[in-house]
Amino acid sequence: MKLHLKTSFDNIKRAPFQAMAAISVLAITFFVTTLTAMVVYSSEQLLQFFESRPQVIAFLTDDADTLEVENLQVQLTGDPRVNTVKFVTKEDALAIYKEATSENPLLGELVSPSIFPASLEISPMDLTFAQELLTELKEEPIVESVGFTASIGGESAVTEVIERLKTISNYIRIAGIIAVTVLSITSFLVLMVVIGMRILMKKEEIESLSLIGATPGFIRAPLIFEAVQYAFWGVFIGWLMASVLIMYASPTLFSYFGEIPVLPSETSDFFTLFAIFFAAELIVGLLIALIGSFISVSRSLTMK
Amino acid sequence: MPVLEFKNVSKSFGDIQAVTNISFSIEDGEFVFITGPSGAGKTTLMKLLLRQYRPSEGEIRFGDWQVHKAKKSKIPHIRQEIGAVFQDFKLLHEKTIRENAEIALAIAKVPSSEWRQRVDHILDLVGLTERADLFPSQLSGGELQRAALARSLVVNPKIVFADEPTGNLDWETAEGVMNLLLKINKEGKTVIVTTHHKTIVKEFGKRVIEMKKGEIVKDSMHSDHKEKTKKMKTKK
Repeated sequence: MKLHLKTSFDNIKRAPFQAMAAISVLAITFFVTTLTAMVVYSSEQLLQFFESRPQVIAFLTDDADTLEVENLQVQLTGDPRVNTVKFVTKEDALAIYKEATSENPLLGELVSPSIFPASLEISPMDLTFAQELLTELKEEPIVESVGFTASIGGESAVTEVIERLKTISNYIRIAGIIAVTVLSITSFLVLMVVIGMRILMKKEEIESLSLIGATPGFIRAPLIFEAVQYAFWGVFIGWLMASVLIMYASPTLFSYFGEIPVLPSETSDFFTLFAIFFAAELIVGLLIALIGSFISVSRSLTMK
Repeated sequence: MPVLEFKNVSKSFGDIQAVTNISFSIEDGEFVFITGPSGAGKTTLMKLLLRQYRPSEGEIRFGDWQVHKAKKSKIPHIRQEIGAVFQDFKLLHEKTIRENAEIALAIAKVPSSEWRQRVDHILDLVGLTERADLFPSQLSGGELQRAALARSLVVNPKIVFADEPTGNLDWETAEGVMNLLLKINKEGKTVIVTTHHKTIVKEFGKRVIEMKKGEIVKDSMHSDHKEKTKKMKTKK
């Protein structure tokens, strides 16, 4: 093991430009992979944020008593189509109104809680359940009227926003998958070429080793270690560059998206996410290196 | 039981007959010269033994191995038991002499804790202790031959097969290498040397298998020689 590692280090030292080429291509691949993974994560968060907003509101009649409201709330909470149910009192409604009109305090002063109906804000598990829930809630005696969340523009606006986000998210995912696949294939081929060149350079040495009894595994080992080192450094550099870029941009992203958690706000969660990206990319990088070098070495040894 | 046996071995490459119907056996502890002019088939014998070539016909037995029908996966194990010394040395140019020997030990799966002691001993035997940390490009022809010999001996092979070990050397250096091989043989190791150097063959007075155009034309093994071998074995 130690001997193979030393041989692989020596190989890299003796042909630094080949090593740099392999590491650069891998670094670009994993730079793009990290960014794509981050964009996919953020778009998922964005979608989840909008989907988990209370989309259905049941405005309650003034004479609805607490027990009736609680019964309806329990009934909805047990419904598998419902994610969350929140009871908003008249006072809460006034507070929301005042917050929404905080730029013009006069509007807030002119109203009293009595003009706002109490309501139940319901967030469905999936937006497709919203219409069914809406229809069923209309039948409830304590429900005066129903509607979609006004804050994002009513029924059509909600579905449109979410559909658009889903489409964008899908496009991002597809584009990301294509970019990462193309770059991974390129990395794979570059690794194969670099290892192939190495074998060509070491043809005599490989023949000598074979003649003194080296097994194919013994001959392969330093070349595979070499590819693994390229993969490790390629993944690390690519991941580090992308992570630094995202960290640099994160204050702007936080202020632009406000309460939408496109990036984890807790520092520990933030770094855990990057650690997960690194671990996943390292596994992919090592697989590329192992498979690429194995095929390359096996081909060369068979051809010999 | 012989340590090495060729039985009616032939090898052809298309229409070219490299060796034809070769038969001989070598006992444990013997020193044998295989002589003949260039193209006689001496190196082919070595390549057949190392299974670089598969014989077209015949059987090759080496120790417990049936070399002629060994599976591909077994070939490295056969080679590990043969201390092959090549005419062009086949040392690894990017490794020092010590590292070259260590690689042979690594291939033979000798624990690394034993490497230093074994390499030191073998370099001392071939007189290269002071050259241990030099690269092959920094050594003379004779030193390279001794380094190649050290690499082959360090794994304690069953036999040493040296292909033209004196081929590129001046007389004095060649004699030094041959004396070294003789010394190894005296310690009980079977040594096979291919050479076209008739003076050396005469000087050392050992068993000679003479080849010409791919055939054995003479094997000096006679009753006298057999007795010598028997005596040597009883001594051991």
